Amino acid sequence: MIEFGHLAAFLALAASLAQGVLGLTGARALAGRAAVVAFAVMALSFATLLVAFAQSDFSLALAANNSHTLKPMIYKLAGVWGNHEGSMALWCLVTLGFGAAGALWMRTGRDVFEARALGVQGWLAAGALSYLLFASSPYLRLDPAPLQGAGLNPVLQDVALASHPPMLYLGYVGFSFVFALAAAGLIDGRIDRVWAKEARRWALAAFIPLTIGIALGSYWAYYELGWGGWWFWDPVENASLMPWLIGAALLHSVVVTEKRGSFAAWTALLAVLAFLFSIMGAFLVRSGVLTSVHAFAVDPKRGMLLLGGLVVYGGLALGLFALRAPKLEGGKPWQMLSREGALATNNVVLVVAALTVLLGTLFPLIAEATGRTISVGEPYFRLTFVPMLAVLLAVLPVVQAWTWGKADLSGVWKWAAGGVGLVAVFLLLGVSVWDIPLGAAFGLALALWLIFGALWEVRRRAVTLARVFRLPLRVWGMTLAHVGLGVFIMGAVVETTQRYEATLALPAGGSGTVAGWNITLNDVHAIEGPNWYADKAVLTARKGSIKAEMAPTKRYYPASRMPTTETAIHKTAAGDLYIALGDRRDVDGETRWVFRVYFNPLIDFVYLGVALMALGAFFSLVPTRRRRTA
Amino acid sequence: MVIRALFLSLAVFGFALTSMGQVLDDPTEEARAQALMRELRCVACENEPISQSSAAIAEDMRARVRLMVGEGASDGEVRDWFESRYGEFVLFRPKGTGLEGFILWGAPFGLLVIGGLIAFGVVRRRKAGAEPVAPDEI
Repeated sequence: MIEFGHLAAFLALAASLAQGVLGLTGARALAGRAAVVAFAVMALSFATLLVAFAQSDFSLALAANNSHTLKPMIYKLAGVWGNHEGSMALWCLVTLGFGAAGALWMRTGRDVFEARALGVQGWLAAGALSYLLFASSPYLRLDPAPLQGAGLNPVLQDVALASHPPMLYLGYVGFSFVFALAAAGLIDGRIDRVWAKEARRWALAAFIPLTIGIALGSYWAYYELGWGGWWFWDPVENASLMPWLIGAALLHSVVVTEKRGSFAAWTALLAVLAFLFSIMGAFLVRSGVLTSVHAFAVDPKRGMLLLGGLVVYGGLALGLFALRAPKLEGGKPWQMLSREGALATNNVVLVVAALTVLLGTLFPLIAEATGRTISVGEPYFRLTFVPMLAVLLAVLPVVQAWTWGKADLSGVWKWAAGGVGLVAVFLLLGVSVWDIPLGAAFGLALALWLIFGALWEVRRRAVTLARVFRLPLRVWGMTLAHVGLGVFIMGAVVETTQRYEATLALPAGGSGTVAGWNITLNDVHAIEGPNWYADKAVLTARKGSIKAEMAPTKRYYPASRMPTTETAIHKTAAGDLYIALGDRRDVDGETRWVFRVYFNPLIDFVYLGVALMALGAFFSLVPTRRRRTA
Repeated sequence: MVIRALFLSLAVFGFALTSMGQVLDDPTEEARAQALMRELRCVACENEPISQSSAAIAEDMRARVRLMVGEGASDGEVRDWFESRYGEFVLFRPKGTGLEGFILWGAPFGLLVIGGLIAFGVVRRRKAGAEPVAPDEI
């Protein structure tokens, strides 16, 4: 069975090579067919891996090393990509999927251009497949087959494993097709409105799953104690943030190219960089050059191959860019104080923000070369990245009504006065009433400012209430994304500055108080699951009239001899009460259990905000029928 | 790494058990201690602040932070104490000293200036004849 899968992967490689050659020679229809065939055979190949895992066929080395008969079915299936080889198979599948989707749904009316885009995508897929087949094959057999598998890393046995990596890969790899479109456009020498319209759709198609994938990973890290909370500026987290920031810059710049023909070279460069940052993320995560809490399946040799791929594809694309960029057409003229100027500012800040994340992530390596071992963590990003974006977002409500070419500045002073007034009120309230840090007060003012600004823009465009619902979906998409940013900032500011944490050591029947919650330990008893056993603590948390039963557990997985902590979370309107069970201690002959107790205020706003951003991007992707002929 | 961690945990073992689970009485001091715990790195973990880690050494380090804050030490004094004990590696807030520190902290602002200059350079060439046009969609 698995040999069929292995063979199918080789067929997919052959089809991708055909797609690459046919595409670059300009044969649109043939390259498209090759792309669809390549995806179909790779899907079959991936299915054989799924079947082998589902049947616990331990003659497959990958299943023997990463699966176990007692695992629930969902983890058996998700376990296919819970390791290096399988995740690369998923990477290949998604690359080919975007190629096939492109073959079916590109509609620029330019056959040669589309053929070339498919050709470039074919070469990207061929590279990924070669890496899969020759450097990290998931299809290898084991003889004799062991009776039992080694089991999946227990911390990965979570429903999030079924959704977070596939979403993230749809995002990372989705940018491969944007890269292919940019390369084809540069070969053509045409990065114009038609190109931008097409590239924007595919950039959104990658950006939406990337956003959702990052949020899922963040939520997973939040409830998995020991992963640093919802965001910790860990190298692996940063690796996903960099392509997201470049993607966000691209989504703003491509609009200028689509509507005005300007920023052509810059947009093409961002389209190339988004994917290069994605490959670099894979390299950072897989090679183990950086220390991370999220790093799994680390292998330096394979890391070097990924770095090689990054250098080859990056070098070719940037070389092509250097050749063609000076010859691209310029678009309509614009002044600094204009819609173009505002979007250029957005792009400068987002790209510098991405480079700051890159610098902070790689700097420990650079410093090590000079003999200094340093750590770059949250405080660095709080003092560089955060103020940069805060300034950018502060001007957003002011500039979003600006016209193309040249802005009408008559209303600017009113906006500036309103913004400064709002900040002043919040700073005063923050110091005198709420007793919060000045940065937090500024952050809250910024969040409200953004939400107000986004809604005001809808009002301005619609003029009357009746016309609000006849605005183009893209306007709604933009509004939702900007409101989402505001909601996100509100949650992030409150959570990071107001969260509370404490440790309790309780005997059975004992109680303690944390952040106004009275917490009583009723009992700790042993329970058993399909492939684990555990200590389960039963607690009652009370605050005023609220009463919640909470049961944090500590699991032990015999197959991999590892414990995991399953936290208990009680959601309230104000935030999450979050309890983790720690060690057992014997103090003065009395048995006590250690609990880590956290109160995380407004944490849901973080995820609600990101969800609104993803929904906004989705609204922007939905094709709109023109109501009036242009 | 493991041996180093074991050694370090032995070094601070003295006050580990007695102070476990204690929270500072003054909420302002406790908040300051918690903020410090979020920017000190657990020396035995992969990449975690001591506020998050359940390692024994992290517990000892947390107790040490509370002890020092409770005795009135400033944030800088707490950071210095940990740095002298465990090295610069323990600080998630990298220091701005030396060439490395200058590059790390200066580069973001340098890049913003360069980006701004490039944008103005483009505008100088492209601004002649700009006319205002209202956006139709976005």
